[in-house]
Amino acid sequence: MKWHTVLSSAMALTLGVGGAAQAQEKTLTISVYAFAQDEYNQILYKPFEEKCGCKLVVETGNSVERLAKMEANKAAPVVDMAVISTTDALQASRAGLIDTIDTSKLSNYGKLYDIAKDPNGDGKSVGYTFYATSIVYRTDKMKITSWADLLKPEYASHVAWPNITTNQGPPALFMLGTALGQTAPDLKAPIAAIADKKDDIVTFYVKSSQLVQLMQQEEIWAAPIGRFSWAPFAKLDLPLGWATPKEGQTGGMNVMVLTKGGKNRDLALQFMDYWLSTEVQTKIAEAMIDSPANAEVKVSDAVANNITYGEDTAKNLKLIPAAVALDNRDAWLAEWNAKVGQ
Amino acid sequence: MFHNRAEAYALALPAAVFAAIVFLVPVGLLLSEGLHGPGGWSLSAYVQFFSEPLNQKIFLRTLKLGLMVTATAAVIGYATAYAIVSMPAGTKGRMIGLVVLPMMISPVARTYAWIVILGRTGIVNEALKFVGLTDAPIRFLFTETAVFLGLLQLFLPLMIISLVSALENLPKDAVPAARILGANWLQVFVKIILPLTREGLIVGGTLVFTGSLTAYITPAILGGSKVLMLETLLYQQVTVASNFPAASVIAFLLIAMSFSANILLRRIATARSGK
Repeated sequence: MKWHTVLSSAMALTLGVGGAAQAQEKTLTISVYAFAQDEYNQILYKPFEEKCGCKLVVETGNSVERLAKMEANKAAPVVDMAVISTTDALQASRAGLIDTIDTSKLSNYGKLYDIAKDPNGDGKSVGYTFYATSIVYRTDKMKITSWADLLKPEYASHVAWPNITTNQGPPALFMLGTALGQTAPDLKAPIAAIADKKDDIVTFYVKSSQLVQLMQQEEIWAAPIGRFSWAPFAKLDLPLGWATPKEGQTGGMNVMVLTKGGKNRDLALQFMDYWLSTEVQTKIAEAMIDSPANAEVKVSDAVANNITYGEDTAKNLKLIPAAVALDNRDAWLAEWNAKVGQ
Repeated sequence: MFHNRAEAYALALPAAVFAAIVFLVPVGLLLSEGLHGPGGWSLSAYVQFFSEPLNQKIFLRTLKLGLMVTATAAVIGYATAYAIVSMPAGTKGRMIGLVVLPMMISPVARTYAWIVILGRTGIVNEALKFVGLTDAPIRFLFTETAVFLGLLQLFLPLMIISLVSALENLPKDAVPAARILGANWLQVFVKIILPLTREGLIVGGTLVFTGSLTAYITPAILGGSKVLMLETLLYQQVTVASNFPAASVIAFLLIAMSFSANILLRRIATARSGK
């Protein structure tokens, strides 16, 4: 009996205090990648809090964890908006976790590159950044004009290839397939081509940070990477280049989504609009964190050279459609494990 | 020491409750995940796991590397430990300090050092080229050899320390006596040293084997996805495939292998001693 009294008074206190705080100040809960949070805090979160007079609660983690959380809290969503990859956004959309975005409330929507406007075609996501994936390589040791060049006998034993489980894995395979004249979404042809050379290829990397050391000690001469990993390579005292293969560059995009049943819809839309604004997108680009999806962003050449920038680049990126990635993901992993993993 | 059992139990209670809450219950929950099929309790996760040729291969590779590291550590460990206990007290202390020293350095740093040592332009390849054993650099990185070396370096100190403390308890006259009576070194080892130090071997062997099975950083950095082991596969299954039943199967295998190794080592040690 005594315990019950203590417990209920404790609960009443907690609830009471919580209720009072809520009345004072609106809260917006966002779920983002655990990356460059200090910079985001300065450039995006704090200025937004001042602007809206509200409080931001930031949840971070990798996309698997964050999606699992959203699924678990489906009945009573905690998060109001999240940023995830286009593929994860489609998965969330199919699982009924996210809602249609009323883009008429986003004043900056019209400034976005076309590829960033509703990339999944379901009206439930807006791209805020995209990146190119191509090949970093030693210009003194090799000449790369095609994705297939990496598998040449004289080069293959100096190449690190992204593992299928990384974000760069499937796009790189897709481009290799294109180079081989095989563009079937099952990626069987490029996986078989990699499997042929699996003993030559130095490693199937999981973290691009590891590649910098391998490049520095001349363990590798080339590797497909995302543009966001380029900066540390540029600092190495080595003749390194960013390939522009004739098949083009691939890449990926991250999008903003609204949780279905989120309580702070208008505030979430305000936040998204602010993030997409020319001012914020420019600052984030200048800090070399995310490449801008807002076409009005102008940056110096020095910055442009280190991010994925410009209308031509945006137009020519050969991205794997999210539906293709989502429908084939398990099959790719199985095929890769069977052919390359053994 | 205690007036009654109840007192002893009472003293052990806080630790037991703590272990139960933070260890036994979560482990139980984790393992039960692998025993849940679509229609209730079933072994389907295990059947499915072992029906994949890749998984079989990774299981056998993990077992093989674990056994090789443990056996090599035992051989090197006995030689080193015997040398250390034969030294005068001051030197002995310094030597034990040297053995323990690497354990004070993060495994990440130690493992990264192997990348430099084993690389194409690393010290091993340069030495091989210098003595004319090879013209072109040999690939060591991202092979089973690299993982083996990394794990051995990581866990050898545990074996040496366990064997040093076991050998310290060996009666000083036992080995000379056996030698005087005509036993060769092999006989001395099998009939005198091994039986009298088996507790040390069991402890050291279990630590090294369990450590090798459950190490993540070393196989991830030195083996990568070309040399997947159960621990790296476990990570892949959880973070990429979200396949929790398979992850639970792997967790069970790792625990079962550790216990089996301990039992096996006990058997070996007692069988040799004839007890």
